[in-house]
Order: sequence, then C-alpha cells, then structure tokens
Amino acid sequence: MPGTARVEYQEELDRLEASALGGLDLVSASLSRTLEAVEHQDVELAQIVVADDDRIDGRYLEVHQALITLLATQSPVATDLRLISALLHVLKNIERMGDQCVNVCKLIPLTGNEPPSDQEMVKLILTMGAQTKTLISQAKRSFEGRDVELARDLVRQDDAVDNLNRECFRLALEIGDDADRREWAMTMLLGARAIERIGDNAVDIGEQVAFVVTGLFREFEDASHPMG
Amino acid sequence: MGAAGATRAESESEVGKVEMKPPITEAQAAPGVTPVATDRPAKTLDAKEVNLFYGDFQAVENVTMTVEPNKVTALIGSSGCGKTTFLRSLNRMHELNAGARVEGSIQLDGQDIYGPRVDPVQVRRLIGMVFQQPNPFPTMSVYDNVAAGLNLNGGRVKKSEKDEVVERSLRGAHLWNEVKDRLDKPGSGLSGGQQQRLCIARAIAVEPEVLLMDEPCSALDPVATLAIEDLIGELKSKYTIAIVTHNMQQASRASDITAFFNLEETGKPGRLIEIGATEKIFTSPAQQATEDYVSGRFG
Repeated sequence: MPGTARVEYQEELDRLEASALGGLDLVSASLSRTLEAVEHQDVELAQIVVADDDRIDGRYLEVHQALITLLATQSPVATDLRLISALLHVLKNIERMGDQCVNVCKLIPLTGNEPPSDQEMVKLILTMGAQTKTLISQAKRSFEGRDVELARDLVRQDDAVDNLNRECFRLALEIGDDADRREWAMTMLLGARAIERIGDNAVDIGEQVAFVVTGLFREFEDASHPMG
Repeated sequence: MGAAGATRAESESEVGKVEMKPPITEAQAAPGVTPVATDRPAKTLDAKEVNLFYGDFQAVENVTMTVEPNKVTALIGSSGCGKTTFLRSLNRMHELNAGARVEGSIQLDGQDIYGPRVDPVQVRRLIGMVFQQPNPFPTMSVYDNVAAGLNLNGGRVKKSEKDEVVERSLRGAHLWNEVKDRLDKPGSGLSGGQQQRLCIARAIAVEPEVLLMDEPCSALDPVATLAIEDLIGELKSKYTIAIVTHNMQQASRASDITAFFNLEETGKPGRLIEIGATEKIFTSPAQQATEDYVSGRFG
C-alpha cells in the first residue's frame, strides 16, 4: 500500500517543506517593516530589519543542512527528489529576498532625516512593495498547492511591479535640477530596484513549482524568450 | 490472457542453425539514453506479448519489451512480480522448471530463440546467465572453471588457445591480477566477490551475445558490489546486459534503462508497468505505481 512505508522520512520532508516556505512569511514581514521604514524615514526600524535578516539566513542554513542530510541518508528519488531540489532553490531565493530588504534598509540612513523629497515617488515605491508582498504570498500558495497555473500567474503580477519600477525611473529623471533632490531620487531608485528583484525571486519560486509538478524545468520568462 | 496467439507450436520459422543477422546499433536507442562507445556491436533481445506459466499458475502476463544492445537494462519490482521468471525466459531457463510454459515471442536480433529447431543449449551459450549466489564448480580450479564452457561447447580446444581465452576472460572480469598466480587452486577458495567475477569470466569465456544477471550482488559486500557494478559498466561495450536487482540504488547507478514490474495482488501475474531511461524512471516516472515503488512507499 502506498503511504504506509517511510512514515518518518515523509514527515521530515513535509516539515522541511513547511519550514522552507515559512521563510517566505519571514520575508513578507521583513518587507512590511522595510516599507514602513521607507514611508517614515525610520532609521531605527531599518536597523531592526537589517539585524533580523539573521533569522532568514538562519532558516536557510538550518533547512538546507537538513535537506542535505535527507539526500545523504534517504536516497530520495522521483517526486521527492524534485521537491528537495526545488526547496534548495527556493531557500536560496528566500535568502536573496531577505538580502534585498536589507539593501533597501541600508539606503534609508543615506537619505538623511529630512522629509522625503517627492511624495509621489514614495507612494510608488510603497505600491510596488504591496504588490510584491502579494507575489510572495502567491508564490507560497502555489508551492503548497502544487498549483502551476497560480505559479504562472506570478509572471503577470511581476510585470505590474516592473512597470511601477519604470515609473519610478521616469519620476527620478523628472525630479529637477536640485542636487539634494537628485541624490535622494537616485537613492530611492536603488531601493525600488531591490524591491523589483524580490518580485523576480517570487517568479523563480513559481518556476520551481512547475518543476516539482511536471519534472521539466523551464524559465517562465527570460530576456531572450519573453513570455516563454 | 493476451497470448497474442503466438504459442510455441505456431512459431515455426526458418531457423535451425543459430546464425545471427547483422547487429542492430544505436538506431534503436531509447529516447534520453546516451549511446555508449561500443567495442563490439551486441544484439537485441525482443520480447513480444510474453506470458509465462508454472503449470496453471500464470507468473508473467503479456510483457512486451526490448533489451537493447550495448546497454544495461535493469528489471526491478517487488518479490513475486515475475522479473526473475521473465529474465529466465530470455535464455530458455524457465522451461527447465517442471510444468513451465512460455507463450509469446522472444527474438535475438530477429531470430526466434524458441523456434522448434533451435537448440536451447546453444541459446544459453549465446545468452549467458550469472546467478545470485556465486556458483563456481567447487572442485574445479580457477582455470578449469573459466574453461568449463569451452569444453562443453564441443570439439577439442588447443591448450594455447584455452590459455588465451582464460586470461582474456579473467581480465575482462577484472580478476586476472588477483588470481593469475593461483589458477590451479580451487575456485571455491576465492572470496565471494571474486567468485562472482569468476562466474562472470566463465560466462564471457564462451563469447555470448547477451549477459543476464539475476541479483548478482545480493550476496556480496558493498566493495565487491561496486566492483561488479563497475565491471557491468565496462561489459556493456561488448554485450547486451539485463540485470534483475532488488537494490534500487544499484538499478539507478548501473543501468541505462529500467523496467518496472508489478503485480496487482498476490496470486495475480506480474506485468511490466513502465520501461524507460533510468534517469527518467528515477526522476519523473510516468506511472504512480512506479513512483511509489522507487520512492520506497510500498510497505
């Protein structure tokens, strides 16, 4: 009877999947604080985000090690092997997403304690962040549900984030001749870019969902094959 | 039962002499399997709609598959799924059991090995078998064990010729360096792994086309097992190889193609569920039953 053997192994694999995907909740929380720090120029909150990234890195190292142990001791094959391979990818994506939040937060002290120079640009970045949080939770749900359609839909959602990023770029170009304002805009543009990369990582997680389900790895979209 | 009408009595064909057609090469390669460099193009074993019986009991139902040349095909499946019975039908050893019966067709490069005028002894020379327990002739020397098949195959063989075959076979089985100074000692004095390589040397001494192996490593320790697996990997450049194994890691390490056999329940005949490139079977098999078996989810 299927399912009657290797119970502990199956439980361990389930636990590690939940733990790895739980990393996306950590990223989502980290991104929320990052956006709050951006909105209020909150340097202290930004420092907390930077310090808290150790939790995301710790999750990465812990689950990664446990997956390697499963590979070494349980000789997983077929769907289990694809799942473990995918989780190793996803962990790396999560770790990168956490790093991008840190990148944004490290920019905040550079903008000084003055109020934001351009409220419209801040609003755009906050909208990008909210949209990216949706991507993160959708990536998690698609993995948990092995839902390839939901995973593919991440590409569409990510396009919206990319458009907002371009809009930020346009605003930065048009911000005027004042040197301080230009410096502020350039710094914020780096932050927008970091948030945009978080969206890309969410799409990468979606590609791993398709790999687990179908056994075929293909990028949903890349520069040379748009909407592949 | 889908015996396809081809019982042995009906399979009258032109054969009488065991003379083979030109070899078939990589044109037949299974998708996803990289052809190996071949020292000698080997032959193809084609089983079509094979049904195997022990008296009234049907052990294997309607198996159609190809054992491809210069590749290692692993037959896997739980106990009683018919994989060993099927393997033994590939060189006419199944029929040695009382009441055993074969339906369907098995061809070696297009020639029916069950043809009415085909000599089963000659079939077994062309399609050799290595068994689970190393079984060298206990009272014979290492040398005589390897040469045994030459003597059986009729006619006198010159001593110098025999020396050459014995050395070549022992070298081919990776055993020469370990036994060259004790060729006159009993084969039973060797270690288990050496004895199994001696049996492989004995099998290849008569230059077969196909080597069948029935769990050849199950009685060996891990080091001897890996030595045999390395040897299997080399032998495929000359031979067509089919191996029955209970060790899934062995199937994944040592074979190019994997065939999964299963039975619905005890007492029912075994069937071929899925055959494909080993890489495919162990990363994304097409059938759920295969997935459950290779993942170890059958309790």
